[in-house]
Amino acid sequence: MPGKDVKIVGFLCNWCAYAGADMAGMARMEQPAGMRIIRVPCSGRVDPLLVLKAFQEGADGVLVSGCHPGDCHYGSGNYLARRRLELLGRMLPALGIEPERFHYTWVSASEGARWAEIVNTFTEAIKDVDEGS
Amino acid sequence: MSVYSYFPGCSLSSSATEYDKSFRLVAGAFDIGLDELEDWNCCGASPAPHHWGGDLGILLPARNLHIAGAGHDSMVAPCAGCFNRLKYAQHELSHNDELRRRTERALREPVRYQTEVLNLVQLLNREIDPGDLAGRTRGRLSGIALGTYYGCVLVRPPEIVLYDDPNDPVKMEPLLKAAGATIPHFPFKTECCGSYMGLARKEIVLKASRRIIEVALECGVDALVTVCPLCHQNLDLRQQQINDAFGTDYHLPVLYLTQALGLALGFSPEELGIDAHLSLGISHRTSSFDNTKKA
Amino acid sequence: MLGVFICQCGTNISATVDTGAVAAAAAGMRGVAHAESIQYTCSDPGQAAIGAAVREKRLDRIVIAACSPRMHEATFRRALERAGLNPYMMEMVNIREQCSWIHADTGEATMKAVDLVRKAVARIRAHVPLQGGKTAAVRRALVIGGGIAGIRAALDISAAGIPVTLVEKSPSIGGNMARLDKTFPTLDCSSCILTPLMVEIKQHDHIELMTNAEVDDVRGLVGDFQIDIRRRSTCVDEEKCTGCMICQEKCPAPAPDDFNAGLCQSKAISVAFPQAVPLVASLRKQYCRRFNGGKCRLCQKLCPAGAVDYGQEDEVVSRSFGAVVAATGYGHYDWTGSYPTFGKGLYPDVITSAQYERLLSASGPTGGLIRRPSDGAEPRQVAFVSCVGSRDESAGRPQCCSVGCMYTAKQAILTKEHIPDSQSYIFYIDMRAGGKNYEEFVRRAQTRYGAIFIRGRVGRIFPRRGKLVVMGTDTLAGDQVEIEADLVVLAAGLTAAPGAGELARKLNIACDETGFMAEEHPKLRPVEAAAAGVFLAGACQGPKDIPATVAQAGAAAAKVIGLLSRGELETSPMVSAVNPSRCAGCFKCRDVCPFGAIDKDRLADGLVTARVIESLCRGCGICNAACPPGAISLNGYTDKQLLAELVEVLR
Repeated sequence: MPGKDVKIVGFLCNWCAYAGADMAGMARMEQPAGMRIIRVPCSGRVDPLLVLKAFQEGADGVLVSGCHPGDCHYGSGNYLARRRLELLGRMLPALGIEPERFHYTWVSASEGARWAEIVNTFTEAIKDVDEGS
Repeated sequence: MSVYSYFPGCSLSSSATEYDKSFRLVAGAFDIGLDELEDWNCCGASPAPHHWGGDLGILLPARNLHIAGAGHDSMVAPCAGCFNRLKYAQHELSHNDELRRRTERALREPVRYQTEVLNLVQLLNREIDPGDLAGRTRGRLSGIALGTYYGCVLVRPPEIVLYDDPNDPVKMEPLLKAAGATIPHFPFKTECCGSYMGLARKEIVLKASRRIIEVALECGVDALVTVCPLCHQNLDLRQQQINDAFGTDYHLPVLYLTQALGLALGFSPEELGIDAHLSLGISHRTSSFDNTKKA
Repeated sequence: MLGVFICQCGTNISATVDTGAVAAAAAGMRGVAHAESIQYTCSDPGQAAIGAAVREKRLDRIVIAACSPRMHEATFRRALERAGLNPYMMEMVNIREQCSWIHADTGEATMKAVDLVRKAVARIRAHVPLQGGKTAAVRRALVIGGGIAGIRAALDISAAGIPVTLVEKSPSIGGNMARLDKTFPTLDCSSCILTPLMVEIKQHDHIELMTNAEVDDVRGLVGDFQIDIRRRSTCVDEEKCTGCMICQEKCPAPAPDDFNAGLCQSKAISVAFPQAVPLVASLRKQYCRRFNGGKCRLCQKLCPAGAVDYGQEDEVVSRSFGAVVAATGYGHYDWTGSYPTFGKGLYPDVITSAQYERLLSASGPTGGLIRRPSDGAEPRQVAFVSCVGSRDESAGRPQCCSVGCMYTAKQAILTKEHIPDSQSYIFYIDMRAGGKNYEEFVRRAQTRYGAIFIRGRVGRIFPRRGKLVVMGTDTLAGDQVEIEADLVVLAAGLTAAPGAGELARKLNIACDETGFMAEEHPKLRPVEAAAAGVFLAGACQGPKDIPATVAQAGAAAAKVIGLLSRGELETSPMVSAVNPSRCAGCFKCRDVCPFGAIDKDRLADGLVTARVIESLCRGCGICNAACPPGAISLNGYTDKQLLAELVEVLR
């Protein structure tokens, strides 16, 4: 089973990504078991410090996922998230964290297959980093 | 001048020598260098490899790819069947590591399989500028309606040949239109001609090919244009058999793409080997092609 | 004191997650006084067990590990309320959709479930009781789309005394149903059922009808949506126009006849169809000579009512609504791109079922006589091709259109009734006749009307001696077949209505992968959209026939009535709150708030701090993430709670 030893924290917005992850479950799409999802109302709620805290607590990877640009339940939350998280991603190497361990992405409520694919590839990418280091 | 590795295959060196002849003439006219593969072998399309099973259907084209890869980045296989087999082998070798290892054991060295494989339409579209062609042909094909017949293996399976729309291919059109021809709507451009069933169940071929000719005439086609020697055989060589079997009286010329372009460029039907075609032997339309020569 | 309940969900969860082991692990977690595994926690006995444990062990907060909170959060909040607890002192853990259903290994899945329960236990320790407020709801509903779904919903809502505004994009209500000839399985005349309802809409005191109108902008939320409606200029004064059609008769500029599916031409100024409601003309500027550099003013000169006004401009009307019903219907799949072997639209006698409906209809361009488009001849052999752009992966359209089998059987029956010596052939994949009296109807098409059903797909359509040959396979006979037909009718698939995606975005609701608007839950919330107060009626949610459309419209209307009948709504307590002693007065929160929900507050000591206007706050928490000193936080999603979750899942 892939991803056995990789623990990932996922911050998912309630309206799109979380519903997309539910959709993947309804379609019984098997995924690595290392993902731990924390539900938030909006990707704009995700304070970059929460991401850093997750790394500090030992997360192998952190994923933030919200509605596609233009589809935010609150209008503009995902745009704010994008600005914050883009900057955060660029800062990570300076903190000694491989940029591959952090990912933010957009998943709609109907994109169950896309969510499963994201969990799979992100888990694999982190395993690659682990093996490489 | 770009030089391509040229894989003629069995048809172009036997039953379709006029295809080879006309291809070389057209290539020469546009400064396309052709370097025939040294010691080439069967492309793998013949029934034998499939009958024997095993890897032979891949090993045969793989060896051709390997030889071509020694001296050239690109190779051209005018026969649609050869093109399909080479693309298929390339696809399998790049997706199946185990098969690639077996192939390398047979070749006794690392296989060069990534040579670019082009079909005839692809090569001509790349090398011939339609504007240049139009200038040199001065509308010799104008007033002639050509039915573009692609057959099956040139465009299918799409994920392997990666060429044109599998249901509605159009890539022959720019050059033929530049040469002045009109391309009427022809819904049977990918319909099966009966393929190699001609040997075992001739009636299947006669029925399938008859329908292609029938629809072509219904659509106002003056001549069919193809790039596949097997299609040509079924549509041209067997046209008299079709007439005999169904009591029809078809005289529909079937040309290779290079022959059509050759006529447009001013080569004579004899130079292009069109006199070898049986449908023209029974045709009343040959005169129209003689006229193109003088135009 | 904490109670933890692990749901087995029959075997949905317990087949992969060892729920007993999870309960045992939970029992050892800090603050947990009670932990048990229950077969169906959402059932009556399950909810009773929660109540009993609350009473016996004096629990004050509950964790329920079960399905997605999107499924049953509301159910369990009510259960807590009944047990005498604050409904927000409950946390759900998703161990079904996001655990048992996506893992195969019991060990891994159980470990993950324990992690997730630990996270919820830590999170709920930081919960505080929350109290929702009340807000007045606007007693007016907006229905978008004037087809049978929108008409039915508008009539049902207004029957409860709630005023309705019905917005229709085209010049007349009636939608797709108005274009149909007869309806399966009863062969009722479509117009005879529909037109009285259309008239009722027009005459109803509580229904405001706006045609040539579209939703421009949506603000606010359930109970108080502020919606801008754009009424497009038609250059005709609706109050003055009498529908006499003199303008249409004399107009020299041809324009496509949308109502007749492009089978004939109409005029630049025209009445949509003779039974249109409202019966007024409208002018399409893109086809009008005057608007394309010409000097023609014929319609204005000839109009006896003086209704033509070339200077008329778009008008934007703003209204408040308590609830919205989307009833935008469906569109027709354009087959010409994906089916080149069917002739790409080059053969005039290859038409769609929608066009054939117009040929069958007495109000159609041929007055109800079946005449093929190429030469006006009456066809003898008619071939029907099912599933064009439906159930076809190669065209990227795997979905079933759900009505094609039935209307094709209907059209075969009507063909025979119109032309007794005709023969119909139907190429089909499977006959899907699941509705009441549907199977009998299809049988009748076969037995009494002699339609020949051929099970197989069509590969090619091509001309032969003035006829069209439909070439396909007969998978039952294992043979290739050719049918020489005079007319070919393609049952083209149903798509989401053009513009549905854009409207969904404005309404803040989701669409599924096929473009249709998504319901919240296929079984529990089939007419509710993702945004509270927005409901779905009819084919905008997915292809469906008229009975199902009418039923869903009624359901949507009942939801609207239920929502607005009490006059007030409960508001969510999950809003942001400011701790004034921490607030530095930087107002970053106000900069990022999408709803203008942050105000300035002047404290007694003269300091200026931020204050949340709770009625405007929607609970996104963007301010929480932006506040430098951490003074503003979102109830239910405080930093403390999220940090507690983080630490526990990574333990």
